[in-house]
Amino acid sequence: MSTRWYPIYQRGNPQLRVFLPNFWMKMVRPHPKQLPNIVHFQCSMEMTKYDIKNYLEKIYNIPVVDVRTKITLGRFRKDYGQGYIVKDDDVKYAYIVLPKDMTFKFPEIFDSKKNDEEENMKSLDEAKKNFSDYLEKNKDRTDVPSWFSI
Amino acid sequence: MHLVKFHRNLPKFKFWTKRRYSHALLTDENEYTEAPEYPPILDMSLQGRKLRERQIVHEKIQKLNTVEEKQIALNMPRYYGWKCVMLNEDKIPYNALPLVKCYTRTHFIPSSSLPDVYSETASLADLVVKQTKSLIEDIIILESEAVKHNYVAEQEKPEEQQKEDMITKNIVKQINRIICNKLSDKASHILSSQADYEPRHEAFWFVGGLDVPHTVRNQRKKHKWLRDQLEEPIDRPVQYIGTPLLTLRSNLPLKPLLPYVEATNPDFKVPKFSFVPESVGYHTQHRHGTNIPGFWTGDCDEFGLLSYHGRGHISVRNPSFGLEDNVEALHSQALKASFGWLLGQANYQGFTTYNDITYPLVTQTIITNGKLWSFYVYQMNTIAMHNEQMDENPKHNICFGTKPLQLYDTIENGQVKGFNEEVLKMLVQLYLNAPEERDHEMKPFLGKEEQIIADIEDDEKRRWLESRYKHLVSNRPKHYLMPEIYLWERIYKIKHNTRFFEAKRRFFERDINPFKRRLDEHLPPYIPKVLRPYPRCRKKFENTYYPKV
Repeated sequence: MSTRWYPIYQRGNPQLRVFLPNFWMKMVRPHPKQLPNIVHFQCSMEMTKYDIKNYLEKIYNIPVVDVRTKITLGRFRKDYGQGYIVKDDDVKYAYIVLPKDMTFKFPEIFDSKKNDEEENMKSLDEAKKNFSDYLEKNKDRTDVPSWFSI
Repeated sequence: MHLVKFHRNLPKFKFWTKRRYSHALLTDENEYTEAPEYPPILDMSLQGRKLRERQIVHEKIQKLNTVEEKQIALNMPRYYGWKCVMLNEDKIPYNALPLVKCYTRTHFIPSSSLPDVYSETASLADLVVKQTKSLIEDIIILESEAVKHNYVAEQEKPEEQQKEDMITKNIVKQINRIICNKLSDKASHILSSQADYEPRHEAFWFVGGLDVPHTVRNQRKKHKWLRDQLEEPIDRPVQYIGTPLLTLRSNLPLKPLLPYVEATNPDFKVPKFSFVPESVGYHTQHRHGTNIPGFWTGDCDEFGLLSYHGRGHISVRNPSFGLEDNVEALHSQALKASFGWLLGQANYQGFTTYNDITYPLVTQTIITNGKLWSFYVYQMNTIAMHNEQMDENPKHNICFGTKPLQLYDTIENGQVKGFNEEVLKMLVQLYLNAPEERDHEMKPFLGKEEQIIADIEDDEKRRWLESRYKHLVSNRPKHYLMPEIYLWERIYKIKHNTRFFEAKRRFFERDINPFKRRLDEHLPPYIPKVLRPYPRCRKKFENTYYPKV
């Protein structure tokens, strides 16, 4: 299903088109401490509870017991550089209840990235330490360029 | 002018600075003891001091004389009512049993028959079943098929549910009438008992040790002294509201199923359900906590025998929940209904959620739609489960319950097919469970002369307390609306300080939390000048008699 306006075909335009649906769901990390059989999603504003249930059951074969939805108010923030206040879009959240014997754990996708970050921080610290050593070593000849050394 | 005023006040100050003795106080000879006596060491941390404050309030509530004053005292800290987690009898979300077990602190024992205590009356029950069987069959046929119901459906509930509950209500009324008639000469407690149709059952208590909602966490983050206790568990006020189809009450309590020492048995430990209740499908509501077991104070029949509840809500439950969860929903309905009713009764005996009961109370609960019957027997051992007591209180409540049992298979050609006498026997056995006088004090926390406000001699105080109590538990909307932060204020005053030049007059600009307003923080009714006592009376406002807690 799609209500998007696509440009009228003109000769010479690419022939292949992808018709994206209006319906989308994005899994989000739940608040800390949630029952293991409840999964949180953000979804498109047009989706009803029935749509959400069908979407998960028909496309992904997930047994859905119950669906609860809520619409959260978007954040108000000062426009950067302008000073007036703008509002972000509202978000529709869907809380999916799975059968009570099923559990879902939000995957840790960025575990490796975290390790990388640690390594980066380590090398940064090292560079900082080298620099301070260099300053310490040359504190009595501040006007000498760095390349001029033994 | 000011100097004159000061001069007038000078003698008063002199009184405070006056030296009373010309020499040092005489030392008491008995001041010295053999062993040194030190004052107790108190915990002077923030939590320790707050805990002592709360304990003082609990003691003050315990010392209040009358039931109604205790109920007002429970509501004293909140002018706009507590933000209660609402437990409705007939709104049961998926997988409700763990939460209900924890909130009612109940160990549930599924069984196929009634506990052993009931076996004494088996022979008498058989006799009564034989006498009543044909009558009850007639009633079932009549009420299920022969009556055409004309009714106006309520908006709030599904029509199917209301229809089922209405038929059930008629069947239950008739069955109760038949059994009571047959038993009135055999069991004296049935003759003297009172039946209520669709009474108002409400119960209010605090459940502690629960996870912190993120709004509270965000509030705690704002204060430096609370940052190290972000995850400190909190108390949640809980309000149960239910309407049984029919209840029987008597002037004596039922016998305990198990001895009271069994309440501390670690086998009955209840697993904790600390998740935020809003995240599993419950909602909250600002309301005053009410404890009403279906009658007002002063009624002589203040102990429940049994209550019938409808199960129409099962038929309109989401089919994806499954049959197995429907049975659990029935169990959780029974736990809520039994605990709620007993808690109301316990409150009328002078106990509150802060002052634990000193003896067990028992009730019997039946959930039925005329065809399927489930029986529950509930023993309440404790009602204290607020923050300090949740982990330390060793006592637990116990409930025995059966699965839904079929009273009959079908109705064909005006005949009931496959009538199950065992089910009827169990029902009669519940009726035959005779209450008994207890040999301990029933109302240890109530006054000697004044136990309810009707006992108060002072006319003005009695009338005031009566009207205030009834108005409080009616939960009618306030005369003035609750204070509200409009969205434009939230955007342009709170989140972004764009109107800093305006005078700060609104409550949120003056650091006032309206939800922390106490119940007695209002002007009492004004006495017009013509009504004041002659000749000159400066008293402008009428007296209030709020309990001092």
